[in-house]
Amino acid sequence: MLFNSIEFVIFFVVVTTLYFSLPYNRRWLLLLISSCYFYMAFIPIYILILGFTIVVDYFAGIYIENAKGKRRKLLLITSLVANIGVLAVFKYWNFIVDNLSYLLKGFALDNPLPHLSILLPIGLSFHTFQAMSYTIEVYRGHQKAERNFGIYSLYVMFYPQLVAGPIERPQNLLHQFRERFDFDYDRVVSGLRLMLWGFVKKIVIADRLALYVDAVYNNPDQHGGLTLILATVFFAFQIYCDFSGYSDIAIGAARVMGFKLMTNFNRPYFSKSISEFWKRWHISLSTWFRDYLYISLGGNKVSIPRWYFNLFFVFLVSGLWHGASWTFIIWGALNGFYLVFALWTQGLRNKLNKITGLARLPQVHQAMQIAVTFFLTCFAWIFFRANNVDEAFTIISKMATLSGSLWYESPSMMIYSFAAIFLLLAMESKQEYYKGSFTLMHNKNWLVRNLTYAFLIILILLVGVFDGGQFIYFQF
Amino acid sequence: MIAKMFRVNKKNTIGYFFLKLGALALLVFLLDFIIGSVLRHYYFKQESGLLYRTTYAIEKTTDEFLVFGSSRANHHYHPEIFENQLHQSYYNVGRDGLGILYHYAVLKAVLKRYTPKTIVLDFIAGELDKDAQSYERLSCLLPYYKNHPEIRPIVHLKSPYEKFKLCSSVYPYSSQIFTIAAGNAEFNKKRRADLKGYVPLWGLWNSPAVVRNRAEEHKLDPNKVKIFESFIKECRQNEVKLYIVCSPYYDKSRQNDPSLKKAAEIAKNYSVAFFDYSVDTSFTNKNLFFSDAEHLNNDGARFFSGRLVKDILLADKKPERAHAHIKS
Repeated sequence: MLFNSIEFVIFFVVVTTLYFSLPYNRRWLLLLISSCYFYMAFIPIYILILGFTIVVDYFAGIYIENAKGKRRKLLLITSLVANIGVLAVFKYWNFIVDNLSYLLKGFALDNPLPHLSILLPIGLSFHTFQAMSYTIEVYRGHQKAERNFGIYSLYVMFYPQLVAGPIERPQNLLHQFRERFDFDYDRVVSGLRLMLWGFVKKIVIADRLALYVDAVYNNPDQHGGLTLILATVFFAFQIYCDFSGYSDIAIGAARVMGFKLMTNFNRPYFSKSISEFWKRWHISLSTWFRDYLYISLGGNKVSIPRWYFNLFFVFLVSGLWHGASWTFIIWGALNGFYLVFALWTQGLRNKLNKITGLARLPQVHQAMQIAVTFFLTCFAWIFFRANNVDEAFTIISKMATLSGSLWYESPSMMIYSFAAIFLLLAMESKQEYYKGSFTLMHNKNWLVRNLTYAFLIILILLVGVFDGGQFIYFQF
Repeated sequence: MIAKMFRVNKKNTIGYFFLKLGALALLVFLLDFIIGSVLRHYYFKQESGLLYRTTYAIEKTTDEFLVFGSSRANHHYHPEIFENQLHQSYYNVGRDGLGILYHYAVLKAVLKRYTPKTIVLDFIAGELDKDAQSYERLSCLLPYYKNHPEIRPIVHLKSPYEKFKLCSSVYPYSSQIFTIAAGNAEFNKKRRADLKGYVPLWGLWNSPAVVRNRAEEHKLDPNKVKIFESFIKECRQNEVKLYIVCSPYYDKSRQNDPSLKKAAEIAKNYSVAFFDYSVDTSFTNKNLFFSDAEHLNNDGARFFSGRLVKDILLADKKPERAHAHIKS
């Protein structure tokens, strides 16, 4: 069930109404049943995979808590292997087989491993990572093992964040299923407001930009450099609005019922460095990798070369997390390289800023930093969006020559796309730089506030793309 | 407890929430109605352009000879040739990017008003293939939903929720503000004039023949097959002479197109003329006739229209010519 569908609107209204009508101690059961229904609306049989990881991690949690010494570690490894095993089979198997075949071909050998014709379960990487964070936290002693199987299942399956995050931690989410949330007008309105903005981001901005991006990126050979540059910039905004729109709807839907989910995006395109970008983009995944991989590798409390390796490696894995393709691995590696390069050249850049006088012009310096970060991010997005590595390099070489004229199907296509980006930047610039000044959605005047909501709803009806399809991050 | 929750005078009650929600709904309804009415007024005020051609096709045509189809219908059938040789008044109701679902809706609307003498349905390769886009594109029929009950069953194919979405007055005009503005400014009239619905293309196709890989699996859409049959049945019931035509392509890659095969088979079952020029060697690889790989230019359209008129006249005399896969 897609968030941007009428089915979801009906589902949300029914579940939320039932939620507030039920006694507190029965609400988790309603949420569990509705989450199962929500997930089974995609491919019903895949709930068995989810069921498998839930059973493994539920018992692993209890056994880990009770175990001591090496047995404790062994149980954690068993749980992690089961989770990563599911990912390996369903997400990476064919990628491994293809690459192995390619490698063996070089030695004139046949690959004995077969290709699997299976569809990737929706949001597999998200709920697998959430499940893994539970067993790791129990192992580290930061979280008590959950004894109620239903509540643990709900922790993995909570429908707002089941298929595309935010990837929650047990310390933040598990206890909330036992809390008593009364109907709170301000909280409900705040949740609905966030959902509305999420819908605008997805239906009005992301799906609108996708029309241009898909037309260009699916036929890069037929387009010139200028068109490809514009499509890449559009993709940067498309993927942001697609994913952060999903997160807004998820966080908003949970907030209506009283749950607090972690912030996943914080206006990333205003970042002044790649390091800052990753503190503002997909925060729940970045912090997951920081807490469970980067720190386990030693973090920055190691020698400088090892520190650089740790950073690069984490981003390489993060690329692989996104998809079983070399394009994602290169995307991850590029981001890792950016970070390492930025650290390595920090001193030199500081000196340059002093020499050129940029240090004395903080606003100009900041604007330049934002522009450079956006440029670097867009360059990496080429690999993320391209259908394969060859196409990515074709696109880059065409961009470098700025060849060809700018393609567009109709002038209105461009007007809608630029207007959509302008709307986003206007909203986010205000949030970023003019906090506390005049607000529309939070205005004290009832009419101004409600006219803004009404305007956004009409905007969806008037310029929304209603057949835009699923969220990009569902495939991960 | 429940009664307490539904009280409307206390802030943290569901009753209070619904009261506020009702006020917002009223505001949305008002805005939707006002903006929707303005858009409706300007939509139907257009007298040229893409959207106007659909309005004209559905609500105003009175011509004896109608051409149905997508962009290829729009650019391939020259009115002068048909009018001069068949002695019937002509209008081209073809519209870019639209398929059999749209054509059937337009046919229903036309037949509700009057019965044309002849219809040519331009059939494209892949016409009956499964393709979500052809349902999405039915959005162009939404402005007519209110006043044309005959097209509603087709609009409902778009999604089961379309009826509910159409409670909004703005939704039928979604993403069309600029096209409506352009139509009212007669922008298209100046830019790309049409001749009784026919839009000539100019220029030559200078690229080499691109034989595309069409090996990918084609799945026929049972809905589209059914609608295609209904199109034929409606014409037969109303005694409209129907000719189904696949006009020429620049390359020969549509040779074994499953949609074309299925359409030929259905046409034969209903004894309807079916002319397939998709691999006609008079046209394939002839740069002078094409504006791009899919569309004839004005010269190509004139030549093709002449050929088609001859074949129509011949088929009327010798019905066995009516199911020809024309190769030369």
